[in-house]
Amino acid sequence: MKFSLFLKDKFVFILLFFLFFFLLILLFFAFKVPVVLSNVVLFSMLIFGVLALFLDYFRKKSFYNTFLLNLEHLDKKYLVLETLERPRFYEGQLFYDAFYEINKAMNEYIKNYEFQMNDFKEYIEMWIHEVKIPIASLILMHHNHGNMPKEYIGQVKKLDNYIDQILYYVRSENFEHDFVISEVPLDKVLKNVNLKNKDDYLENDIHLSVSNVRHSVFSDAKWLEFIINQLINNSIKYQRNHVEREIRITGEDYPDFFVLSIYDNGIGIPPRDIARVFEKSFTGENGRTHSKSTGMGLYIAKKLCTKLGHKIEIFSEVNDHTIVKISFAKNHFYQIDD
Amino acid sequence: MKKIMIVEDDKVICQELEEMLNHAGYEAVVLQDFSKATEEILASSVDLVLLDINIPVINGEVLLKSIREKSEVPIIMVTSRNNETDEVLSMSFGADDYITKPYNPNILLLRIGAVLKRAGKNNDVTTYRNLNVNAKKGVLSDGERELWLTKNEMIIFQFLLNHQGSIVSRDDLMTDLWNNDEYINDNALTVNISRLRAKLTEFGIENAIETRKGQGYILL
Repeated sequence: MKFSLFLKDKFVFILLFFLFFFLLILLFFAFKVPVVLSNVVLFSMLIFGVLALFLDYFRKKSFYNTFLLNLEHLDKKYLVLETLERPRFYEGQLFYDAFYEINKAMNEYIKNYEFQMNDFKEYIEMWIHEVKIPIASLILMHHNHGNMPKEYIGQVKKLDNYIDQILYYVRSENFEHDFVISEVPLDKVLKNVNLKNKDDYLENDIHLSVSNVRHSVFSDAKWLEFIINQLINNSIKYQRNHVEREIRITGEDYPDFFVLSIYDNGIGIPPRDIARVFEKSFTGENGRTHSKSTGMGLYIAKKLCTKLGHKIEIFSEVNDHTIVKISFAKNHFYQIDD
Repeated sequence: MKKIMIVEDDKVICQELEEMLNHAGYEAVVLQDFSKATEEILASSVDLVLLDINIPVINGEVLLKSIREKSEVPIIMVTSRNNETDEVLSMSFGADDYITKPYNPNILLLRIGAVLKRAGKNNDVTTYRNLNVNAKKGVLSDGERELWLTKNEMIIFQFLLNHQGSIVSRDDLMTDLWNNDEYINDNALTVNISRLRAKLTEFGIENAIETRKGQGYILL
């Protein structure tokens, strides 16, 4: 709160005061009041006028300055009222009470939305679990009655993968953390992912090699499996023709990190697209020209990585290779992003 | 024949699971009355229970707990809820394994095999004709001579041996190899099988592995 601006605000009051002041001087002259008396009256009027102005200023200043300062430093600005005491001057009280009401109304409004969101999220999760049952039936039926076309199982698996994407999307958007951080053996997670994609590797004639992954990292096994599965899906999807196709999964052990690299010698990602692959719904050139893409896989993978405290990076050269690296911090130093 | 109890309320899955397990050489029984689940399972003297978490009347985890109070029968939890908390909870209640729907049928069978093996109910077969099979060392011996197999050949031989007399598909073999971290391709599988055949023939075991066209292999 600036004094000059405060004065400017009080301009009418000050103007009227001085008008009255000069009127008084004129009156004193007109009625020939003794000079000493008029001086005393005028002087004390001036003193009290200035005093009143200052008192008013300092009273308000302490409240508004605290308010502005707290507002500036607060991360969640809407909580500023909680840091203030109800002021003792009338305007401030009006302001404070109004804010209180507004806050309350807004909170109720948000609560309502939160409730709806959670309701929706719960329904989606429930729906996903419901829909997994018929998918499980389809896979079993295919296994038992092997007379269906080969593409059948691929389509069912695609369906399953899309459903997983929604599940983890819902989970990644959630305010609460429903993951469990523990020591996860990477080789086990990779085995699950590779077994899941075995048919795709074999059908597309991709040579898979896995090395130096007998290592545990701090993560959530289910989330990590989903993340790696998205990466492997991409590596399988964007293969090149007329080369010896390969996917190499390797672990590198550093003092502070364990880095998992997934290398493929596929079509690669154009330089202008690479910075944006983790963006929501970004499909890029590959997504348009090669295979239909929703642009959600990498987005969700990145989001989950951030929540788990893993770093994920992507490097690529067109028509040569793509490498995705996930870095896991060691010991208990993992950071969980809120 | 190992007996497996299926606890599952979805009719189609039940039926298909039963067929799959029977085909894989197990005797499958299906839980009929969910309100008397604990009693029925305990009375049935099965070798393994496939227990779905989401079943009517009684929750799967509660059922797991009440079975565990009285019996050590191997239990594999099956669920469509893919989350770590449920898995940790199930394992802490004493489940032997946990698998999420939709599962790959071959992997489910491998897991069942592994759990039965751990429970000591289904050891790897260690003799073939007059040979001793040492899977850990990768050696077959008839007391005098020894036949050394590579890791892949041993995995294939052991799998065929465990299913001796029934047809094993290439996909079954492939899944088992991949499950043992041997990520080989179709050609490599063919090469490994012919090398295994050649080694066995050279050792004096004629026509051990037969090819059934379009179906797979069978160890005689």
